[in-house]
Amino acid sequence: MTGEGVYEVFARKKRGEPLRHIGYVDAPGDELARVYAWKTYDEEKWFEMCVVPRGAVIPVNRDDGPWGRNRRGEGDDG
Amino acid sequence: MSQRAEEQLKERIRKGHILESPEEMTPGYRRAIIIQLTVQADTELMSAPAYWLAARHAPSTNTQVSAHAIIQDELAHANIAYRLLEDMGVSKEKLVYGREPHEFKHPYGFDQPLDNWAELVVANGFFDRAGICLLGDVHRNTSYGPLKRALVKVDMEETFHLRHGEVWMRRLARAGGAATELLQRCVDWMFPMTIEWFGLPDDLKRHSGQLDYRLKGLTNDELRQLWMSSTVPLCEGLGLKVPAHYDEAAEEYVLDYPFPCEYDPEAKHWLFGDGEITWDAVFTRWKGRGPMNERYVESVRRSRGTVSSWLN
Ligand SMILES: [Fe+2]
Ligand SMILES: [Fe+2]
Repeated sequence: MTGEGVYEVFARKKRGEPLRHIGYVDAPGDELARVYAWKTYDEEKWFEMCVVPRGAVIPVNRDDGPWGRNRRGEGDDG
Repeated sequence: MSQRAEEQLKERIRKGHILESPEEMTPGYRRAIIIQLTVQADTELMSAPAYWLAARHAPSTNTQVSAHAIIQDELAHANIAYRLLEDMGVSKEKLVYGREPHEFKHPYGFDQPLDNWAELVVANGFFDRAGICLLGDVHRNTSYGPLKRALVKVDMEETFHLRHGEVWMRRLARAGGAATELLQRCVDWMFPMTIEWFGLPDDLKRHSGQLDYRLKGLTNDELRQLWMSSTVPLCEGLGLKVPAHYDEAAEEYVLDYPFPCEYDPEAKHWLFGDGEITWDAVFTRWKGRGPMNERYVESVRRSRGTVSSWLN
């Protein structure tokens, strides 16, 4: 399917806990990314979950790894 | 990259180094983890149609719902493993839609039909337990950070699948009569099927690098023992016969049948009487794939062409 982007999934289990990176989904847009994330990572009763397009994450001190691609100008993931 | 780079990476990993991105991998490491993740992803993916066709035999709406919850988990597990492969430059699209059914790398057990509710719950009790043994070991030991984190969810859910299997095996065992006989017939073909799943014994194992790169911690034989150490007592406790026992002197589980041996998939019957065969013969059978291989792959991807053509 064309136009799929990677979305990073963040969640916290309950109030007072840090937001953790728990995984990622591929989706053709924000709305489906929300649905896919909620259905894929349903192992906990999350207090809060959000998704971020991979291309929106700006690495600060490293330029390797999936997020570093954005800094190296290779970002094509959303 | 040179052999020296491979050795250096192995040395760092031995000291506890964790890799966080594909860029940090050497070609040898990359090759080994791609194979591992492909097997993992394909196994999760093929368990879904196997369980899905079997879920028709669920005895009630509630059990239908739990069976489908397991199937949904398996699809998510597959997706997570394929997604990790994408970050290494391997196309999920090509892996799922671009291969012939026989090219998938799941174990032979998921080429077999699950024909009734008892077979589905024993699959949960045996196959999902094998998954926990294998992936739990990867979770504890892997040198790849993203995989370690991804497995938190997978392990949690596999434990639920296993519990589903155990609870139902217990119910069927207590019922007696036809239910218990059926359960015993499942155990008869699925126990050796899972034993074979763990692959070549250590003394024959070709060097794969999976242990050197710390992509797993236990050897095939250790994992097989781990699986038996919970499966054999479970079955014995339920009054089910299994072709293995604990040898006090050797302090390990010992198989009571020629291993490996030939399997008749149509009859769902292991040919213990024909004696031991070579592992080459086993690999030939695996490569030839089992009776449901094409149907399972087809059921995962049949509507894709049609639906995509509507959308484009
Ligand atoms: Fe799974
Ligand atoms: Fe499972």
